[in-house]
Parts: sequence; structure tokens; C-alpha cells
Amino acid sequence: MTVAAGSAPPPEPDVPLIYRRGVRRLLTQGIYVAITAVVIGYVYTSLDLREFGFGFLNEPAAFKVGNQWLTDVDGVTNSRITMYLVGVWSSLRAVLVAIALSTVLGVLVGVARLSSNWLVAQMAMLYVEIFRNTPLLVQVVLVYTILLIGAPLIENVVNVGDFFFVSNRGMAMPWPVPDGGFWNTPDWFVGVWVAALIAMAVAAGRLRALRQDRERETGQPQFANRWAVGVFAVGALISFFVLGAPVSMDRPMIEGTHYIEGMVMEPEFTALVAGLTLYTSAFIAEIVRGGIQALPRGQTEAANAVGLSGYQRLTLVILPQALRQIIPSVTNQYLNINKNSSLAYAVLYDDLFRVANIVQNKAGHALEMFFVIIVTYMLISFAISLVMNFFNARVTAQRI
Amino acid sequence: MKRLRFGLLAAGVVAMLALVAVACGGDDDGDGGGEGRGNTVQTIKDRGELKCGVKQTQPLFGFREADGTVVGFDIEFCKALAAAVLGDHTDVEYVDASDASTRFELLAEEEIDVLIRTTTITASRDRELAVDFAQTTFYTGQGFAVRTDSGINSTSDMGDAIICVQTGTTTEQNVADHFTDIGLTYDPQGGLSQDVADAFFAGRCDVLTADASDLASRIAVRDDAADYKILPQIISKEPLAPGVRDYDSEWKDVVNWVVHGLIRAEEIGITRANVDQMADNPPNTEVARLLGVPFQGGDVAALGFDSVDAQFIYRAIKAVGNYGEIYDRTIGDNIPRACTLNDLVINNSGCPDGQGGIQYALPYR
Repeated sequence: MTVAAGSAPPPEPDVPLIYRRGVRRLLTQGIYVAITAVVIGYVYTSLDLREFGFGFLNEPAAFKVGNQWLTDVDGVTNSRITMYLVGVWSSLRAVLVAIALSTVLGVLVGVARLSSNWLVAQMAMLYVEIFRNTPLLVQVVLVYTILLIGAPLIENVVNVGDFFFVSNRGMAMPWPVPDGGFWNTPDWFVGVWVAALIAMAVAAGRLRALRQDRERETGQPQFANRWAVGVFAVGALISFFVLGAPVSMDRPMIEGTHYIEGMVMEPEFTALVAGLTLYTSAFIAEIVRGGIQALPRGQTEAANAVGLSGYQRLTLVILPQALRQIIPSVTNQYLNINKNSSLAYAVLYDDLFRVANIVQNKAGHALEMFFVIIVTYMLISFAISLVMNFFNARVTAQRI
Repeated sequence: MKRLRFGLLAAGVVAMLALVAVACGGDDDGDGGGEGRGNTVQTIKDRGELKCGVKQTQPLFGFREADGTVVGFDIEFCKALAAAVLGDHTDVEYVDASDASTRFELLAEEEIDVLIRTTTITASRDRELAVDFAQTTFYTGQGFAVRTDSGINSTSDMGDAIICVQTGTTTEQNVADHFTDIGLTYDPQGGLSQDVADAFFAGRCDVLTADASDLASRIAVRDDAADYKILPQIISKEPLAPGVRDYDSEWKDVVNWVVHGLIRAEEIGITRANVDQMADNPPNTEVARLLGVPFQGGDVAALGFDSVDAQFIYRAIKAVGNYGEIYDRTIGDNIPRACTLNDLVINNSGCPDGQGGIQYALPYR
């Protein structure tokens, strides 16, 4: 008996009904629909949906959110949703900085674990074992406590050449601000300069690719990276002065008991980011180590055979191949950073979760507020996944 | 495949909503417009134990000692209620309601019978949070603590100051309102009450704001108490009262009249020491009514409480003493009482102009 390709085999008469594929499909889908219907029905009936709605988010906030950066929202005339967005911005900032730092630190420690230097390898192992095996909450609170109690009071602030100040109210550092420059240019000249920088970065990237191609063709060293960095640096300097120095560094100062000007990294932010970074970098280190060790030994031996240095071996041969293993697992760690950022609740950092709690406390509407919280975290996670999938596609595009 | 994944995602969102719905279910039971009156008194009697939601992190009011016992001003009222309803002031389970943002949930979810946790009566709480408030036990207002050497003497000196404030409380909104009124800006640090107090004492903030009684209690227990001061300025009214669930007037009556009874006992001089003697031989009909004992061999004048017997005030006084005794024993000199709002109205004759107490018991007839 012949069966057309792709179609299901005809049911055999002695197979019980429950084992037939069509019946199975109907059954599982039926169960799925039924569960969904019951859940929706429960949600619908258990709540007084007459009052369900998001209108409360537009009412005046009447509370102020701390740890603001680049925003100054007092909450008197602003709506609750505005305050919530300030909280989202605080979360995002912590997540982005923690992702960047934990990646750098994780790769360093991961590579160090494989070092032929016994001391370096052991230190890296100790680092991983300590931070991977203690709870993140403990790490965050510990860092915060150290910063509050260990750092000097603002009255005894540590002053590093009037550029950096360290106290338990945070670390103040210089920060670029728009400046009239030589010709008293308007503030939007900063935008022109930034646009010029982006254009030059693109050009430098192009140049690097060109010189790399030539190196591959001719076999002669073309110093692609040095050229790219040099062109960008010279271009940045020239455009800076041509535009009349539109940016100046704003040095922090102390007035009374608080910092003015400059940028202040508050201990709450530092504690959260440090906790997330220490914890996640330990996991990333293990992922990097695993990715490298999964490569066949022949790769290292081949790199040695053609006379590459240790650094060249790592950056040209090992890491590019290991990235295929590393990126999907590291993406998970980035998603964890996003979710774990809600531990800001333990250190007085006004992230989106705390602001949402304040709103809920004042307005009720717990269901709507949790819906907003869940959707926000999911959107941030999706954005992270999207970016990482793009990188993953680039890394796996080359067949090996 | 794509479609299936979206379906799973949708199901996941719905499932999460359902969880939230379950978690929040209590609110709706409470708001449900009189559907079934509660009968907490009967529940307490059946259980043989009073579940009292108290703070465990605030010295003098509700504080967990190193040995695990919970002590403080609010705790004494839990004992008084247990004695009044159950006859034994030790039949209390102290449920931790230290977290301001979940305290009303505990009440609505029937995790506790009564919330005695330095909670301010406000109109919106009364209306929206399924809570009813009984007689105020402690009058205070929102104040500010600063370091003695800070040079800050009122809120007008606090421009751009960093202020530690407990989130999820009335204090948060009071500060925002007040600074708008006086046209200054400030930088808030918000969190749980214990956390913001720790941050203030570590020097993270210039100012700690909370109920003046709260500030006093936290500073009083410190070794370096002299380094801190509480400004005389008060920016709000904070009457602290026991909370019970909506639609349970039987239980609310009991809580209400126990508080009034303890204040009345102080007004007419009934103490823990002399309450037995007063009960054996009441000097007048009012004392007899209050203690639920016969006057000169007559009948007991029942006050008409169905759920507790006539001697419930007697047992409360016997357990914890009158209002003044509770105050002296738990708060004492840490927050002076004479001629402040918590003094008895009948003592006001000796007070300077413009000062005096407002504690005043309603009549037991």
C-alpha cells in the first residue's frame, strides 16, 4: 500500500480511539481552549470589572521619585504615568550599564579561568564560585550597606583633585554639558557635533573593513584598527574645534551638604549595578569558558602552528568561533539582569517596580498596575532578545 | 509554529493576570457593598486567639525584642482586646504588619482581626481600602528629624535637601504637598520605614520625615540620640487608630469602646492596681456600669453588647491598666505627654495657652 507523501497514514482499525492522531490533536487543543476559557472566565468573574481601567494613571501623582538622572520631575503637576516612566528610565539605565559591565567582566574572568598562569586561573575560579553561589539579593544589600557605612560622610568627602568626590551620598564626577564655546554658539550645536561624530564613526568602520580586505588579499599588515581609531580621533578633534568647542566638562562641586553640577552616581544605583554585574559576570564567565572549551583542540594548535600570538589566537581564532556557543546563553543572562533589576526594591532605588508600588498604594487598581509592570518587563526583554538575535544572526551567518 | 507561540504567549499573559486576580481577590471581597456582614468577634472566640497586625520595627510602639517578644504601645491595646473578648491577654498572635504597603491587604484578606500599627485615619483610606477605623489611640503629626549640627531649623531651610521618606504612606504625599506650598524643591529617598531610617542615620539624607512620634521613638533608643533633633514644626495631622474590616460594626464597637474604656478609666482614676477593689465596691453607678458589676446589690446595668459580656472593660483594665498607665509603661518620657495632644482634656487647666490634650472618653451609659 502506498501513501502520498505528507499525508497522515490511514487509521488502523485496531488502534484505540484515544491513540489516533486526529483525536489526540482535537483533545489537546480542546483542553488548551478549555483551560484558557476557564482562566479568562475566572479573571472576569472574580473581579469587579466596572472599575477596571487605566484612567487612574493620568491623575496627578502627588509624590516625588528619587534617583532621577537627566530628568527633573517633581510629581506635583505630573501624572502618575509620567512618574512611572521616570521609574522605567531608572530601571533601563541600571540594566544597560549592568549588561555592559557584566559582559566585559565576564569575558575577562572566563578567559582568565583558562589561563596557563596558575594564580590567575585560581583567582578567576574563586571569583566565579563566590559570586555564583551567593544570592543576588545578599550581594546587592551588602554593597549598599558597605557604601552607606563604609564611605565617608559628605562632611568628610574624599576630594580627588576637584574632579571626583566620594562620599556616602554617591560619587560625583565631571560630565559634559553644552557650552557656548569660542563663538557663543547655541546649545543645539552639540547635536551637530554628535551627528558629525556618528558620521565619522561610520566612515572609520568602512575604512577598517577596506583595510581588512586588503590585508586578506595581499597578506601584508594594513593596521586596520589603528587606522580606524586614528581617523576617528583626528576627525573628532578637528570637528570639535571647527564647531567652536560646543561641549565642556562640568566639574562637580559641593554646596552645603549636597553635590551640585557634574554627574552623581548615587549609592543606590551603584549598589544595584554592582550587585547585578558581580552576580551575572560569574555566570557569563562560565559560559565563555564553556564556549571556548567546546572548540576542538586543533583550533588552538593550528593557530599556534601559523605563529599567531596568544592575543591574536584568542581574538582571531578562538572567540569568533566560540561566540556561536556563547551568544544564546549570554542572551539569557541579559534577560535575567532585566528581571533581577527589580531587586532595586531592597536598596531605596526608585525603579519601575517601586514607582508602580507607590502608584498602586495610592490608587488601588492592583490588577491594572501589575498588568503594566508585566508588560513593561516583557517589552524590555523582547528588545534585548531582538538585539541579541541580530548579533547571533551575524555571528552564525559565516558557515564553518 | 509562529501562531502556536503567540497562543502560548497569550495564555501566559492570561495566566499571570489570573494570578494577580487571585492575589488581589481580597480587595474586592472587602469593597463588595455589604455582601454578608463580618462577625469577627465570633471568629476570634471560635479560634480562641486574637490575630493582631502590629509593627515589629518601631521602638516604643511595636518592636520585636531580641528574645522574640513584641512590645510597645500598640501591643498593649492588642492585649486589652484579647482580655476583653477572650478573657486572657496572652491569647494573641502578633502578625507582622511592618510593611506599610501590605498592611491593609492583611486586614482585607482576614489574615488579621485588627490592625494596630501606627496607622493614620484618612478619608480616602476609609473609603477605598475596605477598612474602618476605631477610636484614635495616639495623636501625632508629621515632623522632621535632622542632625543637631545641620543648621536646619524649619522646612524653609531644606531647599534641595535629600529627604528620607517612607513610601506607601501619607507622609510621602504630605512632603510633596508641603514643599509645593513653600515653593522649594527636595530630593527624596524612599523605601521601607526601617530602611530609610537606617539610611538617614548613616548620613545618606539630610532629613528624615515621619510621624513625630515615630521619629522620637527611633532617636530615643540610639546611643547618639543627642546628635539628632526633631524640629518643632508639624506639617500634618496624623491620628493613629486601630483598623478593622468594613461592615463589621459589632467588632468595631468592641474595639472602639475598649479604647474609650481605657481612657475613661484614667479620667476617673481606675488603675490596674485598684480595679479589683473598685469592682468589689464601686463608688458610684458609672464605675459599676463601666466595670459591669452590680451597684449596691442591684442588677448589672448591661450596656447591650451582644458579643462580649458586661465585664469586658474590667478585664481590659485588669490586663494592661488604664490609658495613662499604658503610655507611661511603653512610651514614658521618650515622648513627653503632659499638655500634648495625648493628654486628657480634663488636665488642660494647668497647661500654657494654646496647648493641651484632646483625649476624651465618650460616656458609658
